[in-house]
Amino acid sequence: MSTIVDIVMSGLFQGSLYAMIAVGLALVWTTIGVFNFAHGVLMTVGAYIAWQLASSDALGLPIFIALPIALLASAAIGLLMQAAIVRPFIGRPDVVLLAVITTLAAASIFENGTLLIWGPRPMQLPPLAAGTVKIMGIGISAHQLIIILVTPVILAALWFFLTRMRLGLALRAVAQNEDACHLVGLNVAALYGLAFGLAAALAGLAGIFLGGFTFMSPTMGSEPLSKALVVVIFGGLGTIAGPIFAAYIIAFFEAISIYFIGFYWTPALLFAVLILTLMLKPEGLFSRRSRSLA
Amino acid sequence: MSILEVVGVSKLFGALRAVDDVSFTVEAGEIFGIAGPNGSGKSTLFNTISGIPFGPDEGRVVFQGQDLSRLKGHVIARMGLARTFQRETAFDTLSVFENALMGASYGRAARGAGAAEVTEALQFVGFDKAMFRRPAAELSVYDRKCLMLATALAMSPRILLLDEPASGLTKPEIEDSITLIRRIAGRGITILLIEHVLTMLLTLSQRLMVLNQGRMLILGEPEEVVRNPEVIRAYLGDRRRAA
Repeated sequence: MSTIVDIVMSGLFQGSLYAMIAVGLALVWTTIGVFNFAHGVLMTVGAYIAWQLASSDALGLPIFIALPIALLASAAIGLLMQAAIVRPFIGRPDVVLLAVITTLAAASIFENGTLLIWGPRPMQLPPLAAGTVKIMGIGISAHQLIIILVTPVILAALWFFLTRMRLGLALRAVAQNEDACHLVGLNVAALYGLAFGLAAALAGLAGIFLGGFTFMSPTMGSEPLSKALVVVIFGGLGTIAGPIFAAYIIAFFEAISIYFIGFYWTPALLFAVLILTLMLKPEGLFSRRSRSLA
Repeated sequence: MSILEVVGVSKLFGALRAVDDVSFTVEAGEIFGIAGPNGSGKSTLFNTISGIPFGPDEGRVVFQGQDLSRLKGHVIARMGLARTFQRETAFDTLSVFENALMGASYGRAARGAGAAEVTEALQFVGFDKAMFRRPAAELSVYDRKCLMLATALAMSPRILLLDEPASGLTKPEIEDSITLIRRIAGRGITILLIEHVLTMLLTLSQRLMVLNQGRMLILGEPEEVVRNPEVIRAYLGDRRRAA
Protein backbone atom coordinates (compact mmCIF):
# COMPACT_ATOMS: atom_id res chain seq x y z
CA MET A 1 0.00 0.00 0.00
CA SER A 2 2.63 2.49 1.05
CA THR A 3 4.58 1.57 -2.10
CA ILE A 4 1.66 2.63 -4.25
CA VAL A 5 1.21 5.92 -2.37
CA ASP A 6 4.93 6.55 -2.71
CA ILE A 7 4.87 5.96 -6.45
CA VAL A 8 1.72 8.05 -6.94
CA MET A 9 3.11 10.99 -4.97
CA SER A 10 6.44 10.84 -6.77
CA GLY A 11 4.65 10.61 -10.12
CA LEU A 12 2.39 13.56 -9.32
CA PHE A 13 5.30 15.68 -8.13
CA GLN A 14 7.58 14.99 -11.09
CA GLY A 15 4.60 15.21 -13.44
CA SER A 16 3.81 18.69 -12.15
CA LEU A 17 7.35 19.88 -12.84
CA TYR A 18 7.50 18.26 -16.29
CA ALA A 19 4.08 19.64 -17.22
CA MET A 20 5.09 23.17 -16.25
CA ILE A 21 8.28 22.97 -18.32
CA ALA A 22 6.71 21.16 -21.29
CA VAL A 23 3.80 23.58 -21.58
CA GLY A 24 6.25 26.46 -21.89
CA LEU A 25 8.13 24.63 -24.64
CA ALA A 26 4.85 23.94 -26.43
CA LEU A 27 3.75 27.56 -26.12
CA VAL A 28 6.91 28.84 -27.80
CA TRP A 29 6.87 26.12 -30.44
CA THR A 30 3.24 26.65 -31.40
CA THR A 31 3.36 30.44 -31.53
CA ILE A 32 6.84 31.20 -32.83
CA GLY A 33 7.67 27.88 -34.44
CA VAL A 34 11.08 27.45 -32.86
CA PHE A 35 12.33 25.06 -30.22
CA ASN A 36 13.85 26.87 -27.28
CA PHE A 37 16.89 25.00 -26.01
CA ALA A 38 17.43 27.78 -23.49
CA HIS A 39 14.21 26.82 -21.72
CA GLY A 40 16.14 24.81 -19.11
CA VAL A 41 18.44 27.69 -18.18
CA LEU A 42 15.42 29.96 -17.80
CA MET A 43 14.48 27.55 -15.04
CA THR A 44 17.89 27.89 -13.49
CA VAL A 45 17.90 31.67 -13.74
CA GLY A 46 14.43 31.90 -12.18
CA ALA A 47 15.54 29.75 -9.26
CA TYR A 48 18.75 31.73 -8.67
CA ILE A 49 16.95 35.07 -8.80
CA ALA A 50 14.50 33.73 -6.23
CA TRP A 51 17.44 32.56 -4.13
CA GLN A 52 19.03 36.00 -4.31
CA LEU A 53 15.79 37.51 -3.02
CA ALA A 54 14.70 34.89 -0.52
CA SER A 55 17.74 33.13 0.91
CA SER A 56 18.80 34.01 4.42
CA ASP A 57 22.34 34.31 3.00
CA ALA A 58 21.16 37.02 0.60
CA LEU A 59 18.24 39.51 0.85
CA GLY A 60 16.13 37.24 3.03
CA LEU A 61 12.71 38.30 1.76
CA PRO A 62 9.77 35.99 2.46
CA ILE A 63 9.43 33.42 -0.34
CA PHE A 64 5.95 34.65 -1.24
CA ILE A 65 7.33 38.10 -2.01
CA ALA A 66 10.44 36.74 -3.72
CA LEU A 67 8.40 34.39 -5.91
CA PRO A 68 6.37 36.94 -7.94
CA ILE A 69 9.42 39.20 -8.35
CA ALA A 70 11.49 36.27 -9.59
CA LEU A 71 8.72 35.28 -12.01
CA LEU A 72 8.50 38.81 -13.42
CA ALA A 73 12.28 38.87 -13.79
CA SER A 74 12.18 35.50 -15.58
CA ALA A 75 9.48 36.78 -17.94
CA ALA A 76 11.53 39.91 -18.64
CA ILE A 77 14.62 37.82 -19.39
CA GLY A 78 12.55 35.60 -21.70
CA LEU A 79 11.20 38.68 -23.47
CA LEU A 80 14.67 40.15 -23.97
CA MET A 81 16.01 36.78 -25.08
CA GLN A 82 13.27 36.55 -27.71
CA ALA A 83 13.97 40.06 -28.96
CA ALA A 84 17.72 39.48 -29.11
CA ILE A 85 18.13 35.98 -30.49
CA VAL A 86 14.86 34.83 -32.06
CA ARG A 87 13.03 37.88 -33.39
CA PRO A 88 15.77 38.94 -35.85
CA PHE A 89 15.48 35.63 -37.71
CA ILE A 90 11.71 35.33 -37.91
CA GLY A 91 10.52 35.24 -41.48
CA ARG A 92 13.69 33.63 -42.75
CA PRO A 93 13.24 30.15 -44.19
CA ASP A 94 16.02 28.76 -41.97
CA VAL A 95 14.67 30.24 -38.73
CA VAL A 96 14.30 26.84 -37.07
CA LEU A 97 17.96 25.94 -37.50
CA LEU A 98 19.15 29.44 -36.58
CA ALA A 99 17.05 29.33 -33.42
CA VAL A 100 18.57 25.97 -32.48
CA ILE A 101 22.00 27.55 -32.66
CA THR A 102 21.11 30.82 -30.92
CA THR A 103 19.09 29.23 -28.11
CA LEU A 104 21.81 26.63 -27.49
CA ALA A 105 24.32 29.49 -27.35
CA ALA A 106 22.09 31.40 -24.94
CA ALA A 107 21.76 28.27 -22.79
CA SER A 108 25.52 28.05 -22.54
CA ILE A 109 25.93 31.77 -21.83
CA PHE A 110 23.29 31.77 -19.09
CA GLU A 111 24.60 28.58 -17.52
CA ASN A 112 28.12 29.98 -17.31
CA GLY A 113 26.78 33.38 -16.27
CA THR A 114 25.04 31.71 -13.34
CA LEU A 115 28.25 29.92 -12.48
CA LEU A 116 30.14 33.22 -12.60
CA ILE A 117 27.67 35.14 -10.43
CA TRP A 118 26.60 32.53 -7.90
CA GLY A 119 29.42 30.00 -8.05
CA PRO A 120 29.38 26.21 -8.29
CA ARG A 121 28.42 25.61 -4.64
CA PRO A 122 25.03 23.85 -4.41
CA MET A 123 22.41 26.06 -2.82
CA GLN A 124 18.85 25.60 -1.69
CA LEU A 125 15.76 27.78 -1.76
CA PRO A 126 13.54 28.00 1.28
CA PRO A 127 10.56 25.70 0.68
CA LEU A 128 7.13 27.18 -0.03
CA ALA A 129 5.99 25.72 3.28
CA ALA A 130 7.85 23.96 6.07
CA GLY A 131 7.10 20.57 7.58
CA THR A 132 5.74 17.29 6.28
CA VAL A 133 2.27 15.97 5.78
CA LYS A 134 1.32 12.35 6.29
CA ILE A 135 -0.82 10.85 3.52
CA MET A 136 -1.92 7.22 4.06
CA GLY A 137 1.10 6.45 6.13
CA ILE A 138 3.60 8.15 3.83
CA GLY A 139 5.29 11.38 4.79
CA ILE A 140 5.49 13.99 2.05
CA SER A 141 6.93 17.48 2.43
CA ALA A 142 4.44 20.31 2.52
CA HIS A 143 6.46 21.93 -0.27
CA GLN A 144 5.86 18.97 -2.58
CA LEU A 145 2.20 18.78 -1.67
CA ILE A 146 1.70 22.47 -2.51
CA ILE A 147 3.33 21.93 -5.91
CA ILE A 148 1.15 18.87 -6.60
CA LEU A 149 -1.98 20.89 -5.77
CA VAL A 150 -1.03 24.25 -7.27
CA THR A 151 0.27 23.04 -10.64
CA PRO A 152 -3.11 21.80 -11.96
CA VAL A 153 -4.60 25.16 -10.95
CA ILE A 154 -1.92 27.04 -12.87
CA LEU A 155 -2.32 24.76 -15.90
CA ALA A 156 -6.12 25.18 -15.78
CA ALA A 157 -5.67 28.95 -15.61
CA LEU A 158 -3.39 28.77 -18.64
CA TRP A 159 -5.97 26.67 -20.47
CA PHE A 160 -8.69 29.19 -19.60
CA PHE A 161 -6.48 32.02 -20.82
CA LEU A 162 -5.74 30.31 -24.13
CA THR A 163 -9.30 29.21 -24.90
CA ARG A 164 -11.57 31.77 -23.27
CA MET A 165 -9.77 35.09 -23.28
CA ARG A 166 -9.24 37.29 -26.32
CA LEU A 167 -5.53 37.72 -25.74
CA GLY A 168 -5.16 33.95 -25.39
CA LEU A 169 -7.14 33.39 -28.56
CA ALA A 170 -4.86 35.89 -30.24
CA LEU A 171 -1.86 33.85 -29.08
CA ARG A 172 -3.38 30.73 -30.63
CA ALA A 173 -4.21 32.73 -33.75
CA VAL A 174 -0.67 33.99 -34.23
CA ALA A 175 0.46 30.37 -34.28
CA GLN A 176 -1.56 29.72 -37.39
CA ASN A 177 -1.43 32.53 -39.83
CA GLU A 178 0.78 35.56 -39.54
CA ASP A 179 -0.81 37.42 -42.45
CA ALA A 180 -4.31 36.90 -41.12
CA CYS A 181 -3.11 38.28 -37.79
CA HIS A 182 -1.94 41.53 -39.35
CA LEU A 183 -5.22 41.57 -41.19
CA VAL A 184 -7.25 41.78 -38.00
CA GLY A 185 -4.86 44.23 -36.41
CA LEU A 186 -2.91 41.87 -34.16
CA ASN A 187 0.55 43.01 -33.16
CA VAL A 188 2.46 39.87 -34.09
CA ALA A 189 5.79 40.99 -32.65
CA ALA A 190 4.19 41.77 -29.29
CA LEU A 191 2.41 38.40 -29.22
CA TYR A 192 5.68 36.56 -29.92
CA GLY A 193 7.21 38.44 -27.01
CA LEU A 194 4.25 37.56 -24.79
CA ALA A 195 4.51 33.85 -25.66
CA PHE A 196 8.21 33.79 -24.83
CA GLY A 197 7.76 35.82 -21.66
CA LEU A 198 4.95 33.60 -20.43
CA ALA A 199 6.95 30.45 -21.19
CA ALA A 200 9.94 31.91 -19.35
CA ALA A 201 7.81 32.70 -16.30
CA LEU A 202 6.51 29.11 -16.29
CA ALA A 203 10.09 27.84 -16.54
CA GLY A 204 11.15 30.13 -13.71
CA LEU A 205 8.31 28.85 -11.56
CA ALA A 206 9.34 25.27 -12.26
CA GLY A 207 12.90 26.23 -11.26
CA ILE A 208 11.71 27.74 -7.98
CA PHE A 209 9.61 24.67 -7.26
CA LEU A 210 12.60 22.43 -7.93
CA GLY A 211 15.03 24.65 -6.02
CA GLY A 212 12.99 24.31 -2.85
CA PHE A 213 13.15 20.55 -3.13
CA THR A 214 16.67 19.63 -4.25
CA PHE A 215 19.96 21.47 -4.39
CA MET A 216 20.34 24.13 -7.03
CA SER A 217 23.32 24.25 -9.35
CA PRO A 218 24.02 26.15 -12.56
CA THR A 219 23.28 22.98 -14.53
CA MET A 220 20.05 22.17 -12.68
CA GLY A 221 17.92 22.96 -15.77
CA SER A 222 19.51 20.52 -18.19
CA GLU A 223 18.16 17.28 -16.72
CA PRO A 224 14.52 18.48 -16.43
CA LEU A 225 14.82 19.91 -19.97
CA SER A 226 15.88 16.54 -21.36
CA LYS A 227 12.93 14.93 -19.56
CA ALA A 228 10.63 17.62 -20.90
CA LEU A 229 12.00 16.84 -24.36
CA VAL A 230 10.90 13.24 -23.92
CA VAL A 231 7.53 14.54 -22.73
CA VAL A 232 6.88 16.85 -25.66
CA ILE A 233 7.98 14.29 -28.21
CA PHE A 234 5.84 11.63 -26.53
CA GLY A 235 2.80 13.89 -26.21
CA GLY A 236 3.26 16.01 -29.30
CA LEU A 237 3.68 19.77 -29.36
CA GLY A 238 0.58 20.64 -31.34
CA THR A 239 -1.84 21.01 -28.46
CA ILE A 240 -1.69 22.51 -25.00
CA ALA A 241 -3.27 19.44 -23.36
CA GLY A 242 -0.96 16.91 -25.07
CA PRO A 243 2.23 17.86 -23.22
CA ILE A 244 0.33 18.09 -19.92
CA PHE A 245 -1.07 14.55 -20.13
CA ALA A 246 2.25 13.29 -21.44
CA ALA A 247 4.08 14.94 -18.53
CA TYR A 248 2.07 13.01 -15.97
CA ILE A 249 2.24 9.74 -17.94
CA ILE A 250 6.02 9.99 -18.31
CA ALA A 251 6.42 10.93 -14.64
CA PHE A 252 4.38 7.91 -13.49
CA PHE A 253 6.31 5.69 -15.86
CA GLU A 254 9.52 7.07 -14.40
CA ALA A 255 8.34 6.59 -10.80
CA ILE A 256 7.30 3.00 -11.44
CA SER A 257 10.49 2.26 -13.32
CA ILE A 258 12.68 3.75 -10.58
CA TYR A 259 10.92 1.62 -8.00
CA PHE A 260 10.92 -1.68 -9.82
CA ILE A 261 13.86 -1.46 -12.21
CA GLY A 262 16.06 1.03 -10.50
CA PHE A 263 17.46 4.51 -10.78
CA TYR A 264 20.29 3.47 -13.04
CA TRP A 265 18.30 2.07 -15.95
CA THR A 266 15.33 4.45 -15.86
CA PRO A 267 16.82 7.17 -18.13
CA ALA A 268 17.64 4.46 -20.66
CA LEU A 269 14.03 3.25 -20.53
CA LEU A 270 12.77 6.81 -21.01
CA PHE A 271 14.91 7.18 -24.09
CA ALA A 272 13.58 3.86 -25.34
CA VAL A 273 10.08 5.38 -25.03
CA LEU A 274 11.35 8.39 -26.94
CA ILE A 275 12.78 6.26 -29.75
CA LEU A 276 9.64 4.13 -29.95
CA THR A 277 7.46 7.24 -30.17
CA LEU A 278 9.60 8.64 -32.96
CA MET A 279 9.36 5.34 -34.82
CA LEU A 280 5.65 4.66 -34.33
CA LYS A 281 3.93 8.04 -33.96
CA PRO A 282 6.44 10.81 -34.66
CA GLU A 283 3.85 13.58 -34.36
CA GLY A 284 3.23 12.55 -30.75
CA LEU A 285 0.49 10.69 -28.98
CA PHE A 286 -2.03 13.52 -28.73
CA SER A 287 -1.15 15.59 -31.76
CA ARG A 288 -1.85 15.90 -35.42
CA ARG A 289 0.86 16.64 -37.92
CA SER A 290 0.68 20.41 -37.80
CA ARG A 291 2.07 23.34 -35.92
CA SER A 292 -0.97 24.92 -34.42
CA LEU A 293 -2.20 25.30 -30.90
CA ALA A 294 -5.51 23.46 -30.79
CA MET B 1 -14.65 63.34 -50.77
CA SER B 2 -11.65 61.09 -51.25
CA ILE B 3 -10.92 58.49 -48.60
CA LEU B 4 -7.77 56.98 -50.07
CA GLU B 5 -5.07 58.67 -52.12
CA VAL B 6 -2.30 56.70 -53.74
CA VAL B 7 0.46 59.01 -54.95
CA GLY B 8 3.26 57.74 -57.18
CA VAL B 9 3.57 54.43 -55.37
CA SER B 10 6.28 51.96 -56.46
CA LYS B 11 7.40 48.62 -55.09
CA LEU B 12 10.70 47.14 -56.20
CA PHE B 13 11.89 43.57 -56.03
CA GLY B 14 15.51 43.91 -57.08
CA ALA B 15 15.41 45.39 -60.57
CA LEU B 16 11.75 44.47 -61.08
CA ARG B 17 9.29 47.30 -60.56
CA ALA B 18 6.30 45.19 -59.46
CA VAL B 19 4.30 48.36 -58.91
CA ASP B 20 5.58 51.29 -60.92
CA ASP B 21 4.56 54.87 -60.15
CA VAL B 22 0.84 54.22 -59.67
CA SER B 23 -1.43 57.10 -58.62
CA PHE B 24 -5.18 57.18 -58.10
CA THR B 25 -7.80 58.46 -55.70
CA VAL B 26 -10.69 56.51 -54.24
CA GLU B 27 -13.88 58.35 -53.30
CA ALA B 28 -15.68 57.50 -50.06
CA GLY B 29 -18.45 54.98 -50.66
CA GLU B 30 -17.45 53.85 -54.14
CA ILE B 31 -16.53 50.40 -55.42
CA PHE B 32 -13.23 50.79 -57.20
CA GLY B 33 -12.30 47.88 -59.46
CA ILE B 34 -8.74 46.85 -60.31
CA ALA B 35 -8.00 44.50 -63.20
CA GLY B 36 -4.88 43.35 -64.98
CA PRO B 37 -3.17 40.22 -66.27
CA ASN B 38 -1.42 37.89 -63.84
CA GLY B 39 1.75 39.44 -62.49
CA SER B 40 0.63 42.98 -63.31
CA GLY B 41 1.09 44.06 -59.69
CA LYS B 42 -2.48 44.07 -58.39
CA SER B 43 -1.86 42.11 -55.22
CA THR B 44 1.46 43.86 -54.66
CA LEU B 45 -0.42 47.15 -54.84
CA PHE B 46 -2.76 45.90 -52.10
CA ASN B 47 0.25 44.84 -50.07
CA THR B 48 1.81 48.27 -50.27
CA ILE B 49 -1.45 50.00 -49.33
CA SER B 50 -2.24 47.76 -46.36
CA GLY B 51 1.35 47.38 -45.18
CA ILE B 52 0.86 43.60 -45.10
CA PRO B 53 3.51 42.44 -45.42
CA PHE B 54 5.27 45.58 -46.67
CA GLY B 55 4.69 49.24 -47.47
CA PRO B 56 5.75 51.06 -50.67
CA ASP B 57 9.37 51.77 -51.56
CA GLU B 58 8.44 55.05 -53.23
CA GLY B 59 5.41 57.28 -53.08
CA ARG B 60 2.74 57.84 -50.48
CA VAL B 61 -0.53 56.22 -49.46
CA VAL B 62 -2.85 58.68 -47.72
CA PHE B 63 -5.88 57.30 -45.89
CA GLN B 64 -8.32 59.82 -44.40
CA GLY B 65 -5.62 62.46 -44.50
CA GLN B 66 -2.99 60.28 -42.79
CA ASP B 67 0.14 58.96 -44.47
CA LEU B 68 0.24 55.16 -44.18
CA SER B 69 3.49 54.56 -46.03
CA ARG B 70 5.66 54.06 -42.94
CA LEU B 71 3.08 52.47 -40.64
CA LYS B 72 2.99 48.80 -39.69
CA GLY B 73 0.25 46.51 -41.00
CA HIS B 74 -1.57 46.00 -37.73
CA VAL B 75 -1.62 49.75 -37.04
CA ILE B 76 -3.14 50.39 -40.47
CA ALA B 77 -5.72 47.67 -39.84
CA ARG B 78 -6.70 49.32 -36.56
CA MET B 79 -7.20 52.66 -38.36
CA GLY B 80 -10.02 51.11 -40.35
CA LEU B 81 -8.38 49.71 -43.46
CA ALA B 82 -9.20 46.02 -43.77
CA ARG B 83 -8.28 43.57 -46.50
CA THR B 84 -8.87 40.03 -47.55
CA PHE B 85 -6.44 37.75 -49.32
CA GLN B 86 -6.66 35.78 -52.53
CA ARG B 87 -6.36 32.55 -50.57
CA GLU B 88 -8.77 32.24 -47.70
CA THR B 89 -7.01 33.01 -44.47
CA ALA B 90 -8.58 31.82 -41.27
CA PHE B 91 -7.39 30.59 -37.91
CA ASP B 92 -8.10 26.90 -38.45
CA THR B 93 -8.37 25.61 -34.90
CA LEU B 94 -10.41 28.58 -33.71
CA SER B 95 -14.17 28.42 -34.14
CA VAL B 96 -16.12 30.55 -36.61
CA PHE B 97 -17.14 32.84 -33.78
CA GLU B 98 -13.63 33.12 -32.34
CA ASN B 99 -12.26 34.01 -35.77
CA ALA B 100 -14.61 36.95 -36.13
CA LEU B 101 -14.02 37.87 -32.49
CA MET B 102 -10.37 38.45 -33.34
CA GLY B 103 -11.47 41.07 -35.87
CA ALA B 104 -13.77 42.75 -33.37
CA SER B 105 -11.15 42.67 -30.63
CA TYR B 106 -8.25 44.24 -32.43
CA GLY B 107 -9.85 46.18 -35.29
CA ARG B 108 -10.98 49.80 -35.39
CA ALA B 109 -13.90 49.03 -33.11
CA ALA B 110 -11.61 47.29 -30.60
CA ARG B 111 -12.84 49.23 -27.58
CA GLY B 112 -16.19 47.90 -26.52
CA ALA B 113 -16.85 45.67 -29.50
CA GLY B 114 -18.22 42.40 -28.26
CA ALA B 115 -20.34 39.39 -28.95
CA ALA B 116 -23.19 41.44 -30.44
CA GLU B 117 -21.00 42.94 -33.18
CA VAL B 118 -19.45 39.57 -33.94
CA THR B 119 -22.83 37.88 -34.20
CA GLU B 120 -24.09 40.68 -36.43
CA ALA B 121 -21.10 40.43 -38.78
CA LEU B 122 -21.36 36.65 -39.03
CA GLN B 123 -25.08 36.70 -39.69
CA PHE B 124 -24.62 39.51 -42.22
CA VAL B 125 -22.47 37.25 -44.42
CA GLY B 126 -24.90 34.37 -44.00
CA PHE B 127 -23.75 32.21 -41.09
CA ASP B 128 -26.49 30.94 -38.84
CA LYS B 129 -25.83 30.48 -35.15
CA ALA B 130 -25.55 26.71 -35.46
CA MET B 131 -22.30 27.23 -37.39
CA PHE B 132 -20.67 29.54 -34.83
CA ARG B 133 -18.93 26.80 -32.87
CA ARG B 134 -17.56 24.88 -35.85
CA PRO B 135 -13.77 25.04 -36.27
CA ALA B 136 -12.82 27.14 -39.28
CA ALA B 137 -10.88 24.20 -40.72
CA GLU B 138 -14.13 22.31 -41.35
CA LEU B 139 -15.68 24.99 -43.57
CA SER B 140 -16.04 24.87 -47.35
CA VAL B 141 -14.02 27.25 -49.52
CA TYR B 142 -17.00 29.57 -49.97
CA ASP B 143 -17.77 29.61 -46.25
CA ARG B 144 -14.14 30.31 -45.46
CA LYS B 145 -14.23 33.28 -47.81
CA CYS B 146 -17.39 34.46 -46.08
CA LEU B 147 -15.69 34.02 -42.71
CA MET B 148 -12.75 36.10 -43.90
CA LEU B 149 -15.25 38.82 -44.89
CA ALA B 150 -17.09 38.59 -41.56
CA THR B 151 -13.80 38.87 -39.67
CA ALA B 152 -12.95 41.97 -41.70
CA LEU B 153 -16.44 43.43 -41.13
CA ALA B 154 -16.22 42.80 -37.39
CA MET B 155 -13.34 45.28 -37.41
CA SER B 156 -15.79 48.00 -38.54
CA PRO B 157 -13.54 49.09 -41.39
CA ARG B 158 -13.95 52.32 -43.37
CA ILE B 159 -12.43 50.76 -46.43
CA LEU B 160 -12.16 47.13 -47.48
CA LEU B 161 -9.62 45.78 -49.96
CA LEU B 162 -10.88 42.57 -51.58
CA ASP B 163 -8.28 40.47 -53.41
CA GLU B 164 -10.00 38.16 -55.90
CA PRO B 165 -13.01 37.23 -53.78
CA ALA B 166 -14.37 35.07 -56.63
CA SER B 167 -11.32 32.87 -57.17
CA GLY B 168 -12.08 29.19 -56.70
CA LEU B 169 -15.84 29.72 -56.51
CA THR B 170 -18.61 28.20 -58.62
CA LYS B 171 -20.93 30.34 -60.77
CA PRO B 172 -23.80 30.45 -58.26
CA GLU B 173 -21.35 31.23 -55.46
CA ILE B 174 -19.97 34.11 -57.54
CA GLU B 175 -23.54 35.43 -57.88
CA ASP B 176 -23.91 35.24 -54.09
CA SER B 177 -20.60 37.03 -53.60
CA ILE B 178 -21.69 39.86 -55.90
CA THR B 179 -24.84 40.36 -53.83
CA LEU B 180 -22.84 40.22 -50.62
CA ILE B 181 -20.24 42.76 -51.77
CA ARG B 182 -23.04 45.09 -52.86
CA ARG B 183 -24.61 44.78 -49.42
CA ILE B 184 -21.26 45.54 -47.78
CA ALA B 185 -20.97 48.66 -49.93
CA GLY B 186 -24.53 49.48 -48.82
CA ARG B 187 -23.22 49.77 -45.25
CA GLY B 188 -21.16 52.73 -46.42
CA ILE B 189 -17.88 50.83 -46.62
CA THR B 190 -15.63 51.86 -49.49
CA ILE B 191 -14.42 48.89 -51.50
CA LEU B 192 -11.32 48.26 -53.59
CA LEU B 193 -11.86 45.14 -55.64
CA ILE B 194 -9.26 43.07 -57.48
CA GLU B 195 -10.86 40.46 -59.69
CA HIS B 196 -10.25 38.32 -62.73
CA VAL B 197 -13.89 37.41 -63.18
CA LEU B 198 -14.92 40.28 -65.47
CA THR B 199 -18.66 39.91 -64.91
CA MET B 200 -18.11 40.61 -61.23
CA LEU B 201 -15.88 43.60 -61.91
CA LEU B 202 -18.25 45.08 -64.50
CA THR B 203 -21.35 44.57 -62.35
CA LEU B 204 -19.86 46.04 -59.20
CA SER B 205 -17.25 48.67 -60.05
CA GLN B 206 -18.13 52.30 -60.49
CA ARG B 207 -14.65 52.95 -61.82
CA LEU B 208 -12.14 50.47 -63.14
CA MET B 209 -8.37 50.68 -63.25
CA VAL B 210 -6.27 48.32 -65.36
CA LEU B 211 -2.68 47.59 -64.41
CA ASN B 212 -0.12 46.14 -66.79
CA GLN B 213 3.45 45.30 -65.80
CA GLY B 214 3.11 47.38 -62.67
CA ARG B 215 1.92 50.51 -64.43
CA MET B 216 -1.52 52.00 -64.71
CA LEU B 217 -2.81 51.40 -68.21
CA ILE B 218 -6.13 53.14 -67.94
CA LEU B 219 -8.66 54.36 -65.40
CA GLY B 220 -12.26 55.16 -66.17
CA GLU B 221 -15.81 53.94 -66.69
CA PRO B 222 -15.78 50.12 -66.64
CA GLU B 223 -17.62 49.71 -69.96
CA GLU B 224 -15.24 52.10 -71.73
CA VAL B 225 -12.19 50.55 -70.13
CA VAL B 226 -12.90 47.02 -71.36
CA ARG B 227 -13.47 48.28 -74.92
CA ASN B 228 -10.13 50.06 -74.98
CA PRO B 229 -7.89 48.36 -77.61
CA GLU B 230 -4.78 48.62 -75.41
CA VAL B 231 -6.56 46.87 -72.55
CA ILE B 232 -7.73 44.10 -74.87
CA ARG B 233 -4.18 43.61 -76.09
CA ALA B 234 -2.69 43.44 -72.58
CA TYR B 235 -5.47 41.40 -71.16
CA LEU B 236 -6.56 39.01 -73.88
CA GLY B 237 -4.86 35.82 -72.69
CA ASP B 238 -6.21 36.24 -69.24
CA ARG B 239 -9.72 37.12 -70.42
CA ARG B 240 -9.96 33.87 -72.31
CA ARG B 241 -8.90 31.90 -69.28
CA ALA B 242 -11.37 33.72 -67.05
CA ALA B 243 -14.29 32.88 -69.32
